[in-house]
Amino acid sequence: MNPTKPRCNFNSPSLFRSLTKPKSTQIQNINILFFIFIYLFIELMLSESVFCLLTEDLLIRILDRVNSDRKSLRLVCKEFHRVESTTRKTIRILRIEFLLGLLQKYCNIESLDLSVCPRIDDGAVSVLLSHGSVNWTRRIKRLVLSRATGLGYVGLEMLIRACPLLEAVDVSHCCGYGDREASALSCAVRLRELNMDKCLGVTDIGLAKIAVGCSKLESLSLKWCLEISDLGIDLLSKKCLELKFLDVSYLKVTSESLRSIASLLKLEVFIMVGCYLVDDVGLRFLEKGCPLLKAIDVSRCNCVSPSGLLSVISGHEGLEQMDARYCLSELSAPLINGLKNLNHLNIIRINGVRVSDFILQIIGTNCKSLVELGLSKCIGVTNMGIMQVVSGCGNLKTLDLTCCRSITDVAISTIANSCPNLACLKLESCDMVTEVGLYQLGLSCLMLEELDLTDCSGVNDIALKYISRCSELVRLKLGLCTNISDIGLAHIACNCTKLTELDLYRCVRIGDDGLAALATGCNKLTMLNLSYCNRMTDTGLKCISNLGELSDLELRAIPNITSIGIKAVAINCKRLANLDLKHCEKINDSGFWALAFYAQNLLQINMSYCNVSDHVLCLLMSNLKRLQDAKLVHLTNVTVQGLELALRSCCGRIKKVKLQSSLRFSISSEILETFNARGCKIRWD
Amino acid sequence: MNPTGSLCANNWARSSSLVPPGNGLQTNLSLDPSSFFGVGIETPFKEINQPSPTQCVIPGESKKDVKITDQETSKLQDWDPSAMLNNLSFLEEKIHQLQDVVHMIVNKKFQPFEQPRELVTQEQQLITADLTSIIVQLISTAGSLLPSVRNTVANTSPLIGQLSQLRGINLPFGTGTSSGIQPQNNCENKLFDHSIQNDVPNKCEMEQNHNMEEHEHKDEEDMEEGENLPPGSYEILQLEKEEILAPHTHFCTICGKGFKRDANLRMHMRGHGDEYKTPAALAKPHKETGSEPKLIKRYSCPYGGCKRNKDHKKFQPLKTILCVKNHYKRTHCDKSYTCSRCHTKKFSVIADLKTHEKHCGKDKWLCSCGTTFSRKDKLFGHIALFQGHTPAIPLEENKGLAEPPDRCDAKENSTMVGSMNFCFGSNPSSENGIDNMMDVKGNIDDPINYFSSLNFEGCNFGAFNEFSQPPFEDSDSSFSFLMSGSFNYAPKSGGESCSDNL
Repeated sequence: MNPTKPRCNFNSPSLFRSLTKPKSTQIQNINILFFIFIYLFIELMLSESVFCLLTEDLLIRILDRVNSDRKSLRLVCKEFHRVESTTRKTIRILRIEFLLGLLQKYCNIESLDLSVCPRIDDGAVSVLLSHGSVNWTRRIKRLVLSRATGLGYVGLEMLIRACPLLEAVDVSHCCGYGDREASALSCAVRLRELNMDKCLGVTDIGLAKIAVGCSKLESLSLKWCLEISDLGIDLLSKKCLELKFLDVSYLKVTSESLRSIASLLKLEVFIMVGCYLVDDVGLRFLEKGCPLLKAIDVSRCNCVSPSGLLSVISGHEGLEQMDARYCLSELSAPLINGLKNLNHLNIIRINGVRVSDFILQIIGTNCKSLVELGLSKCIGVTNMGIMQVVSGCGNLKTLDLTCCRSITDVAISTIANSCPNLACLKLESCDMVTEVGLYQLGLSCLMLEELDLTDCSGVNDIALKYISRCSELVRLKLGLCTNISDIGLAHIACNCTKLTELDLYRCVRIGDDGLAALATGCNKLTMLNLSYCNRMTDTGLKCISNLGELSDLELRAIPNITSIGIKAVAINCKRLANLDLKHCEKINDSGFWALAFYAQNLLQINMSYCNVSDHVLCLLMSNLKRLQDAKLVHLTNVTVQGLELALRSCCGRIKKVKLQSSLRFSISSEILETFNARGCKIRWD
Repeated sequence: MNPTGSLCANNWARSSSLVPPGNGLQTNLSLDPSSFFGVGIETPFKEINQPSPTQCVIPGESKKDVKITDQETSKLQDWDPSAMLNNLSFLEEKIHQLQDVVHMIVNKKFQPFEQPRELVTQEQQLITADLTSIIVQLISTAGSLLPSVRNTVANTSPLIGQLSQLRGINLPFGTGTSSGIQPQNNCENKLFDHSIQNDVPNKCEMEQNHNMEEHEHKDEEDMEEGENLPPGSYEILQLEKEEILAPHTHFCTICGKGFKRDANLRMHMRGHGDEYKTPAALAKPHKETGSEPKLIKRYSCPYGGCKRNKDHKKFQPLKTILCVKNHYKRTHCDKSYTCSRCHTKKFSVIADLKTHEKHCGKDKWLCSCGTTFSRKDKLFGHIALFQGHTPAIPLEENKGLAEPPDRCDAKENSTMVGSMNFCFGSNPSSENGIDNMMDVKGNIDDPINYFSSLNFEGCNFGAFNEFSQPPFEDSDSSFSFLMSGSFNYAPKSGGESCSDNL
């Protein structure tokens, strides 16, 4: 419920903080060389392999201490490798080629993630299960099959039946899943956690299967299972009495469902985003029911009024989280009075509501333990209101002020002074915010990890200089900040070395120099958006290719980059998974050749409007074994035959393709049927 | 002994004729719905009971016996010692059988593997049902004694007083009317009914209950405002069974030809001579006598113990002859018309069959126990009520490749596997009864298994083969470690990148 872990509250120099941080995080930063160094040192001193003398118990203990960087440790010596193999509990498979080998090696795994592994289908599963000694399924407790659209109900059932201890399954976004798959899932009698988001075909029948089969269910997400109605929810509430978490977002359920849900005595979290048929009558059922309710989300429920929400609040004084985004037009006086009683409230999100200074004052004076406040797109948020709310809620960690356009530097300064623990601040479209406010932020909020300054035209190089004092920054969004240049970026690059995500969308003054600084400073970057930064060239791209951790790179519509730059990226960024090259018209076949050969981890590519030929497209599509999603619109040099060939070559593993709608009837129906049968979705543009 | 007594025994004979273990009794009872109502089925017990002359009606004489007086029925109450002896020895046998069953259960408990819980509870329920029936039979045996005793000893014995009290509690007992055993039969039916309703229901029982509800409902419809008539204000007619079941009701006195309608008979009579051609002879006969005040006619069902029988304590008359016919066929006759679509539903009135056939196949909501519902909410109510029942998912048209031939029917008729399985279970051959029953049970416990066992062999792997080698497939089949040589993609680096994410 509470996403941010409690952290020590020290408003002190960074050195002190780094000392007080948890051990594992510290060790995470030590690289493999360090381990090897220690290893060699000990070996030299004792002139024999000391780790051979250590018992396995001790080695396991050592491994437990280095939770996060097990990969480096594994590579040090055979002993470490062996111990790591036996103690590993979770595994995420990227390629099916290694699946069997890995499963045999790591025989004690409890969690298997196949969500990004291509070619998981019924046949693969049957081969996996029939292969020799099937030991690996013995201990499996969690299966992540999200987006495993190739897997049918037969394979699913085989897999689930093979795992006797299975407790959690994630089949979210398997859009083709229906009642049969649900029926297969219901074989897992010990199941406690199930995520079925966007299993579009599941109806009440499927839900009934699960409700009857998995009566120990504690957590269930049915988001976007659009076929499910009141009947199914009613049965669920009768059969699964252990439910603690229930998500019925976007279902066409009515207040009747809430009557049933109210009978769930153990329910703690109830999410019903976008249930537009539920009204206050339903919420009144909750007033008396669900005694342990801690979190409720009624966002986008258009029929819910403040009085309905009040009835929920009055029935549950221990409420910790309340989400009411875009469902109320304004908060009524009784509701505000009701809020006064919620002393345990941690998170409140009332995006899109008309608020007043008075309301914010009430929140500030009563909800002292507030950790997160969402006021995105709220009308009537003023400097005064913000000052009143933050002065009361000193523990705030997340503050969302997206599109609160009337707030100025005064408010930012107050926030900075009142909330030293602030970790996330969203100020998108707050035009009046300038370097004056951000100065204070850089001075006080040293714990800041996420800052969204998208479309804040007041942000300039000086502002970035101030922000760069927040050295803990992990995510920084500077999209559409047209006033920032290489100088500002260099400040960020020098100081914010922990940055992993940076958004420079349409920062048109950013050029190669800034990127060079970035590549040397922020070498942990995994996501970088440079779309429409039209000043950058291959030189900048070559710099970027030094970012070894880079996985997501958006280079949309950069006119000056060519195959040379792309080749550098393809060769050096080994982890590159998502690449957007739409409208990069200067990249030619040789660039895509390079991608086809080197970017073996590519998962998703957008090459619409690119100059790629039939031959290279086929090569790319067939050679990239992990590719799951390709957007292939307006490829002027590609013929229909070439496209068909390319599609055939990847039809076993790809899950999503975007094609030009004009080709709808030119492409042979056989391919389309095969795609359909393999669970691949074709989007026509 | 009167027919109802024999029918009561008939139930007995059926229930005990099976080998006791498993669900024998239950199967059997639920198999043959008509045995519930004790409609004349030849039974091994028949010779025990002395058929009374009044009840064993010869067709020709039936018309005379439209009214059975109380005096006539009281003759039945003579005590027959040989029948009594037979009954007692039968009871003894029955108790022995029950003993065996309990022994078996005791033995099973020491076996290493545990039985499924449902099975155990089912057995318990079976035993209680058996015991109940033994008690009922005992009472009925004593009851046959009672009226004669009462006539002679006149209620002086305390034991008999108790007995009659007991009967008074249990049974809707019509004092002094017809036979003393009739109500017991009724009672027994009720008891069985209860025990079954408490049971883990299987398809058969559900079906049974449904049917019964249906009939009661229909009967009430037949009744309508007839109930309001004060007891003496109408004339009660009781047609005999043969008359009710006869296809024609109007017979030509000259040639014997039968007609459904009197008007047709009158038209027919014209052929037998000029005297039948007069307007008076052709006119409706009732019109002439219409001037005198006539009692309203109401009808009684000839079946003893039936609520529609005039001797019943809460007698509710039937309004017309058609009502009598429909009532008798529905309630006391075999269901000889089977639906040609589902092969499951049976009817005794052809009109009912036709009504059903209009809607057959529309009951698309199927439970794993085989029960179908026309409405989804009814199915969900059913599932919510019974532990372990789940909705069944119909097989897809194109996925039933490996289906055995007997199930093809079910598929064609858009019914589901469960219901077909029920047909198996309801196969009344007694030797297979138990096995079949287990079959049904297995299906209830684990319907998914049932479906999947069909699907595993043929279709899926076929489908897999079909897809795994598409015409343009590149070299990477599901598990090949070989990379196409021309690309300088080294597996080693792949391994590394793979482990990155570990």
